[in-house]
Amino acid sequence: MDDFTVDIPEGKIGILGPNGAGKSTFVKIALGLIRTTSGSVTVLGVDLDRNTIDIRRKIGYMPEHDCIPNSMTGVEFLIEMGLVTGMSLQSATQRTHEILGHLMMGEEKYRKIEEYSGGMRQKIKLAQGLIHGPDVIFLDEPTSGLDPKARQEMLETINGLTEVSGTNVLLSTHILQDVETVCDHVIIINNGKLQMQENVKKLMQRQTDVIQVRIGGSTEDFVKQLKKSGITATSGGRGLHVPYVNDKTFEQIVDSAVKSNCQLYEMERATTTMDNIYLEVVD
Amino acid sequence: MKEKAQVSERFREFKAELTSRPSIVLGMGLRGFLRLLSLKNPWTIALVALIWLWTLGFYVLLSTGDYPCENLFGDDSSEDFKRCQPLVYYNDLGLGGVRLFLVTLAAISSSGLIANDMTDKSIHLYLSRPISRLDYLIARFIPVVYINQWGEAGLEFDWIKNHKWLLLDILILGSFYSASYSIIGLTFSTAINRESWAAGAFFLFVYGSAIIVEIFYLMIGDDRVLLLSIIHLLDIIGFFIFDTQPFFTAAFGFEGIDIADIEVFGVFILIIGSCGIFVNWMISQMEANK
Repeated sequence: MDDFTVDIPEGKIGILGPNGAGKSTFVKIALGLIRTTSGSVTVLGVDLDRNTIDIRRKIGYMPEHDCIPNSMTGVEFLIEMGLVTGMSLQSATQRTHEILGHLMMGEEKYRKIEEYSGGMRQKIKLAQGLIHGPDVIFLDEPTSGLDPKARQEMLETINGLTEVSGTNVLLSTHILQDVETVCDHVIIINNGKLQMQENVKKLMQRQTDVIQVRIGGSTEDFVKQLKKSGITATSGGRGLHVPYVNDKTFEQIVDSAVKSNCQLYEMERATTTMDNIYLEVVD
Repeated sequence: MKEKAQVSERFREFKAELTSRPSIVLGMGLRGFLRLLSLKNPWTIALVALIWLWTLGFYVLLSTGDYPCENLFGDDSSEDFKRCQPLVYYNDLGLGGVRLFLVTLAAISSSGLIANDMTDKSIHLYLSRPISRLDYLIARFIPVVYINQWGEAGLEFDWIKNHKWLLLDILILGSFYSASYSIIGLTFSTAINRESWAAGAFFLFVYGSAIIVEIFYLMIGDDRVLLLSIIHLLDIIGFFIFDTQPFFTAAFGFEGIDIADIEVFGVFILIIGSCGIFVNWMISQMEANK
């Protein structure tokens, strides 16, 4: 990570970025597993350099990869994780059954984890991060490797469990829909640098109707000609984005292309989705 | 509905009372020890029982007066005889079986602890808890030392009864062997992520190096060659603990050992220190990577 400064508010925050962008590194730095070579990190108001270990009492962590021991049952595993966090046996046992109840796990919680489906393993992984009632939980690619149905279930579980337990969420993912479903704030990073920080609702409001235009010839002349018609075009993706007002906008685009001696290769009405915004930012 | 709402409220309000780091580490260690002693690990229990039975057998043998130290020092070296006695329990003179079992016990008990955490990657979950890397290593070290101490406790039976003046030395030697073999065993457990392979490699390393070193010793004749074998190195320090003349059994009889203290302890610190640094480095790599 390089020249990276970010102030993360409370709530459910998504860290979005392509593979290798630095999302997992960011989470591990915030968890104190990787030390920064320069700069400082403050988590929940505590300087990580001074208190790397004890801050983890207030943090839950769900790693990306499969990391749960197959030889234990779901109940045994969660109790062990509670004990390793410092809970008493009684408290860990009680909390384990409460969480598994919220996860709607019945008899299967007494089965060995090796018999669990991918979705159930992810849920158990989430539960271990919430076992001690942390103030914030770091979720590293929680839907990675799940089929669409299991993914939807996992997102609903994350929403349900964190809402009912009042836990802040830091969700690292490269899947946009995960952020849309869970988060109220998004941070986009790429190549270890902060690219964008925005409220998800505001970001969604930026979703507008546009006409995607691809032309041959002088783009500059075409944009100038459009401007004379009161239309501001922006570059986006493979061509230009022209805001759609009504069907007359199409005629204005054709006129501008003729007047600026440009060939019109493509003209298609499209919606700027979060995908487009993300791609723009990352590109 | 009302009942459900109350449950959810309790869930929402939950803030765990968390204990201190030393308690977490001790708890992890004790649970690990109990797991080693559980019926899921029959070989561990069998080895402990075997060591105890073996020791009991020699205790009966000794009561007949036929004791191997007489061959070593002669009848007139009564002081050396007394000091030699506990060492032969652990070491050679036909009693290598006890040490064989102890090394096997250390191999079996230590090999799975870190290796399993690394194989199933649960080490990431442990290290994200409020414990440091060192805390984790200590927590994994405790069960192996405990189980080895249990094995060696059998050896202490005779001395508690008949040789009280050497009890402290016996306890120190037991702890020393347990701790040293455990650290080396955990190093293999960290380096080789598969439990059975780690146990086999540890066993081969300990006994393989001893055999090779003894062959080299016979060829070269320099006592310092013995420092390259873990078994001989620990035995030499064992003699220091009992304040007696170091010796070892070569192919044709007993051989006295004459090596400077600084060389012995220097090599020991180098080996154990290297093991500690290596394990710490391996785990730090796992922390930083997937």
